[in-house]
This record gives sequence, structure tokens and C-alpha cells, in this order.
Amino acid sequence: MRIGIACPYTWDVPGGVQVHVRDLAETLIAAGHEVSVITPVDDERTLPPYAVDVGRALPVRYNGSVARLLMGPVSAARVRRWLREHDFDVLHVHEPSAPSIGLLACMLADGPIVATFHTANPRSRFLTAAHGALQPSFEKLRARIAVSEAARRTLVEHLGADAILIPNGVAVDGFADAEPLPGYGDGQPTVVFLGRIDEPRKGLDVLLAAMGPLLATVPDVRLLVAGPGDVAGLRARLDPRLRDRVDLIGLVSDADKPRVFASGQVYCAPNTGQESFGIVLLEAMAAGTPVVASDLDAFRRVLDDGRAGRLFEVGDPARLAAVLAEVLTDPGGVTDLVRHAHTVAKAYDWRTIAERIVGVYQMVSGDGRVSVASG
Amino acid sequence: MDALVVVVALVVAIATYLTWLALRLDRLAARVADAREGLVTQLVARADAANTLATCCALTDLADSVRRARAVHPVLLAGGPLDGAVELAENVLSRSLRSGEVAAAGQRFPAELHAVDSEAARVALARQFHNDAVRDLRALAGRRLVRLLHLAGRRPRPGYFEIDDALPARGDLPDLAT
Repeated sequence: MRIGIACPYTWDVPGGVQVHVRDLAETLIAAGHEVSVITPVDDERTLPPYAVDVGRALPVRYNGSVARLLMGPVSAARVRRWLREHDFDVLHVHEPSAPSIGLLACMLADGPIVATFHTANPRSRFLTAAHGALQPSFEKLRARIAVSEAARRTLVEHLGADAILIPNGVAVDGFADAEPLPGYGDGQPTVVFLGRIDEPRKGLDVLLAAMGPLLATVPDVRLLVAGPGDVAGLRARLDPRLRDRVDLIGLVSDADKPRVFASGQVYCAPNTGQESFGIVLLEAMAAGTPVVASDLDAFRRVLDDGRAGRLFEVGDPARLAAVLAEVLTDPGGVTDLVRHAHTVAKAYDWRTIAERIVGVYQMVSGDGRVSVASG
Repeated sequence: MDALVVVVALVVAIATYLTWLALRLDRLAARVADAREGLVTQLVARADAANTLATCCALTDLADSVRRARAVHPVLLAGGPLDGAVELAENVLSRSLRSGEVAAAGQRFPAELHAVDSEAARVALARQFHNDAVRDLRALAGRRLVRLLHLAGRRPRPGYFEIDDALPARGDLPDLAT
């Protein structure tokens, strides 16, 4: 199929939506589809060959991230030309509720249009205020996809429209058989944490509090913390007993992520709330690293109610220490769990997810084509 | 003179707005028609897949339900309404597909069962696309101005298509659709 994808956020600024668009586009291309992405970008040289620049625009804050206000005549002209040149079978706009290019493309196009909603925002003032103005564009959407139950609920509550749930994908093969980072993989029991270190809801404090009791049962345990944040500040306020047991390696590149999972015997997700989807959990599961996570709804679902990973009570360091000790002292006991985890992760593989999305494209496209709207 | 300019501008603005409303209604009507076509295609595909399973496993109950559903399909394909009779026939088929008999037959013919389940899942999607389109059209066509000026023309207002298309739980994977 000929597929056009509109990405609302600046391509070369890190963000979940951009990663989703990139992975989806590349999976679709590998499956033999013709794909073109239109996106705002700061440095045009960072664009892959399948993406085109819609131009710079006003940065505005939207729902915690910076969106580009793309409603000007220049971007509109570029979107129109892009639509005309490609003659798409289907147009897939992302986050059309943000005042950016997803919405703009939706306003300017006619025909089979699919939208994916990423944001989970129970009280979006923008959505509430803009509902009436958005309706004429949204009534062109032939299918709505939400990446999480929370995103779907946001849509139902604000726009009164339902959506199909198709989660984010994981590149399962990319996580298998990675080499441990230098200095790891020598058999010393290692717990891995991945995420922003100074964001309380990521729960690093819970894990650090569990390290004390864990040292009593597993004396040679160490903790590998990978993630951006104030590394020096955290090191300074570490419990002196933990100072030589906690390795803070800062932000890791996407390429090194599989190696981080391969460096530990267990991956821990001690998050304390607001997690709409456990994508990092799935990555660890794809890597074959046992997962220990707090029993948030989203995590419980991804971990198949504890059958694909161990759960502990949210925010309880004592329980966390006990569960981590069990996994570290009896690696044989989690063999079945790891095998099942891999099967679960495979269901979220990008190839599987992209197939489901293509299924939606096929159902809505019929024999129609995307054209430039007449009004 | 000034008053004339204001009146002309007002008339142009009102005409533009009404044209725009009519355009939206046309577009929605086209979307509903496409969604309806997709839904009918999918209902036929589900019956076909169910028929294959019924034939290869000699399932008489399922074969009966398929016959019933297929009896209404020619009318649908010719543009007939998605009415209560259709809903009833499709519900009977949905129920048959959830029977223990079908699950047992799937043990011997997993590929055939999988084909039926995929088509049934697509029925659920097609029905959602259809009902979403109908909801959007009814919302706009129900506006007072639209009704007053008969902007929606003489087209009958399309109805929702309500059937029980819940899928049976099969396999040991967590339900990824929820």
C-alpha cells in the first residue's frame, strides 16, 4: 500500500510519538509498503530518506511536551503538495488532538484517514475547549486507534468517540542475544533499573530503599542504574553502604539498551504510578531478563497477572527486596517465567503490531484514495 | 451603500457556511456508505469462513446458523437495510461460533478456526467503524439548522448496527485487545 504518515512532533527531539512513527514506518517499509512521513524537524540532515520536512514552526507546550504549532500557510502548502505528489491509499495522522501537523493533515485531506491517539490525559483543557472546532476534522477519521487503555478513555471522555486499542510495538529481535556492557556479565548478581533517576514516579527511591535489606540476603548484589538525570546529586545522597554497589551510568543510547538488560540477572520497574503502558518491561522480556515490577494495572496486564514477571506491592521496599532475593538466589525458578515472558513480548513485536495496523488500513481504504480536500 | 456592503458580506458568509455544512454532510454520507460496504463484505467473509469450518468438521448447528446468515446476505449486497432481521441472523451465527462444539473442532482444524476468529474480529472492527460514522452523521444531521433547511436532503438517517460480536477467549496469551 501507499501510506502517508503525519508526525506532529519535531523529529530530532526525543519522544515516544516520534519513536513510534519511526518504528512503524520502518516496519511497514520492510514489509514492502511505500511509506512517506511528513514531520517538523530542526536539523533536516537527521531525516531518514522516507521522511520530508514540513518546515520550522512555533514551539508551544502541549501536554508536557513541546509541540510545533503548525497552522501557517507555508506548512499547509507543503502538506498539500505532499498529498498531491504521493497519491496515498491511506493517510495515518498521529495525535490529531495536538495543534500540529497531524491535525493540519487531517484538515487538508479527504478520503481514507486513520488516526492514532497517544496521549492519556484525563483532564485536557485543550481538548475540552477545542472539541467543537476539532469535530469537522475528526469526522473525517475512518478509524481511531489508541495506544493504551488510558488513551482510549481520554478519547471517549473528551470526544465521545471510541477507538481500537493497538499498543506500541517492540522490536523483539533487536533485544535478543545482546552482549553485556563492559564490566558486567561476570556472574555477580546485578539488578538493572532503566529510567529517569529524578522523576519520583519512576520509583528509583523505592528500589534504593530495598537495597539495604537485599544486601542482607544477597551480600554481593549490585545495582545498575541507566537513565538521565542529576547523577552527581544522586551519588552524593546515596546511603554510604550502597556507594560502591550502585553504578550510575547516566543516559544510554537506544543501541545500548539491549546491552543494559543483558548486563543484569533481573530488571526492576518500581514505578509508583501514572504508567499507561509498560514498554520498557516488554523490552526486558524480549531480552530474556526476568522482570520484577510494581503491581500497577498496566504492568499487571503486560506481565500476564504475574505469569510473565514477578509483581510486588507498589512502593513497598521490603516486599521488593524479598522478591528480588528470590529471583537472584534461584535463577532456575524463573525459567518458565522468562519463556512465557518472551512469548508475551512477541505478541507486541512491531511486525505483529504493524500487521494489525495494516489490517485497519485495508478495512478503511476500500478503493478510495487520499486527496486534497475541497473545503 | 455601507448597509449594502454589510448585507452582501452577510449573505456571502451565510452561504459559505451553509455550503460548508452541506459538504460535511456529503462527506459523512460517503463515509457511512463506505463503512457499510466494508461491514457487509466482512459479514459475508465471516459466514464463508464459518462455512468452511462447518463443512470440514460436519458441524450441523454451525451449518444451520451459516445458512440463516447467508439467507440475508444477497439483500444486503444489493443495498438492503441493516435491520433487525439481519442483526438476529448474525447474532445466531456469533453464538454458534462461541459453542463448545466449535472450540472442540478447532483442536483438529486450528487453521480453519483461526480463519473464522480473524474474520470475526474484523466484523467487530467493521461494525465499530460503521457505528462511529453513523454517530458522526446523525450528530450533524440532527442539528436544528440542518433539519430546518433540509440540508441533509431526503436521505434516510442511517441506523446503528448492533450485534453481539464478542470473541471467545482462546489460547493462553493475555487478551491484548483490552
